[in-house]
Amino acid sequence: MEGDVESQPVADGTTAATDSVANGCSRRLTDDEFDRYSRQMIVPGMGKEGQLRLINSRVLVIGAGGLGCPAAQYIAGAGVGTIGIIDNDVVEASNLHRQVGHATSRIGMKKVDSLITHLKELNPLPTYVPYPFQLTPQNAADIISKYDLVMDCTDNPVTRYLISDVCVLVRKPLVTAAAIQKSGQLTVLNCPPTPQGLVDSEYAPCYRCCFRKPPPPSSMVSCGEAGIMGPVVGMMGVAQAGEAIKILASALHMPVAKNVGDNNTPEKNLKQPTLLIYTFDLESAVGPYSFRALKMGGRKRNCFACGENSTLTLEGIKTGNPDYVQFCSAPAPVVSLAPEERITAAAYHAAKEKGELPDHLLIDTREKEHFSFGSIQGAINVPFGKLLMKAAAIKRDGGPATEILPAEAVKSNTPIFVVCRTGSDSQETVEKFKELGLDNGGKRRIVDIVGGMKAWKQEVDPTFPYI
Amino acid sequence: MASKPPPGHFNILYFASAGSYTSKNVEALPAPLPLRKLFDTLEERYQGIRGSVLDHSLVTINLTYVDVPDDEAVEEGQEVVIQEGDEVAIIPPVSSG
Repeated sequence: MEGDVESQPVADGTTAATDSVANGCSRRLTDDEFDRYSRQMIVPGMGKEGQLRLINSRVLVIGAGGLGCPAAQYIAGAGVGTIGIIDNDVVEASNLHRQVGHATSRIGMKKVDSLITHLKELNPLPTYVPYPFQLTPQNAADIISKYDLVMDCTDNPVTRYLISDVCVLVRKPLVTAAAIQKSGQLTVLNCPPTPQGLVDSEYAPCYRCCFRKPPPPSSMVSCGEAGIMGPVVGMMGVAQAGEAIKILASALHMPVAKNVGDNNTPEKNLKQPTLLIYTFDLESAVGPYSFRALKMGGRKRNCFACGENSTLTLEGIKTGNPDYVQFCSAPAPVVSLAPEERITAAAYHAAKEKGELPDHLLIDTREKEHFSFGSIQGAINVPFGKLLMKAAAIKRDGGPATEILPAEAVKSNTPIFVVCRTGSDSQETVEKFKELGLDNGGKRRIVDIVGGMKAWKQEVDPTFPYI
Repeated sequence: MASKPPPGHFNILYFASAGSYTSKNVEALPAPLPLRKLFDTLEERYQGIRGSVLDHSLVTINLTYVDVPDDEAVEEGQEVVIQEGDEVAIIPPVSSG
């Protein structure tokens, strides 16, 4: 393919790929390209010039999951010339309700290979580059600097901060999106890219300008734990492709200085980018609140990555500074229960079988959707979120602490056992119950079942429908 | 989600984990409220929400990003006040995909 030039960052902030895009604009389209891309080329503003820019562009899709599948499909269909895809995962059946670039027949295959198989069927013209491994602080800069634009389709904060930092340093625009349960977010960052340390409201923000620090991991759940509706993540992935196509076809990512005097200077719109929020409400019909476009701020003066005193460097990142895993990980666990306040799933089961626990209450703090698939016999569902709310209300309003318990446990010193999904909410629940004085000064046992229903499946009942 | 807030109130929208924490998508709170008091007001209602959600979230008023002042030290004339009828949103980062 013409114009298939390695893009390497050079001193003045432009890239070799930038030049190749400019050169590409003068060549003829092949008959194949002409047929395939005709319907989008006739859209006002796109034209042959926009199409050639796409053909000469290189896009890196990081993550081949719920966002990466639709994002890659639409940029491949649109004819982006080189598409790199990074993912170290394999296709599982539970991915397929949303990861529409994979297939039942490819379960067990590496996601990058599965997605590229699909994309080649869709459009054989682009060059597809598989990276069947994780993006790491060591390999990130080498890979990212080969591309014109990056799409963050990952599923974890560690990689999100790494991608953004490297994009700042090697000056690449970043189209980032995320989704969980019924909510999605999307924004364009670092576009057009400007050198680190130049601070002015004129310059576009990076991910850290928007989200300075990650939330505690306890409040960050994955799609595997919290669930995700296919159309929510799909919508965000398609919108990412839309943003990428817009940026590349109109050359919005070209360095600011080069666009001065250009007859279209739409990059001005991106300096305070829009954060698109999509909420999918299972309880109401399509309403005016489903989409929101929020106006974001510009680059932050004190930003750790792009701000004026930033010490972030590519060398530093490669050698472990900053430490992304530590940055995104939890401080030491806050709950420390005594050994007698904990019991393994196997020991609980054995004691119950032997009749050693004739009268006790078992509280399952999973969300009701998880509980509905199956539970230990006799368990009562009190979802953790509701439990915390009630605990806070009791503390604030001074109501009786027993209000938090199901009616069965109110009157006596009946021991309480608490089980959750993986064993951490249950410990916090035991702690909360004690704080509220429900242990009756030690007369009532309150016990955490170690490892939650996950451990129950492993230790007691392998057929348990654990999700 | 809800429509116009009642007189003397503003609407606050809770996205993603803010919604899970409060078990609400939206509610109406009394206005006017200085922006710097917003997190304290929410912490009173939802114990622990500051550390778990708010400290990491974006805040917007009427669809535009605002910086929530860190402390009580707000220069005179610089005070941002949430007004009756405003729409405030709490937007925690989402990481999954």
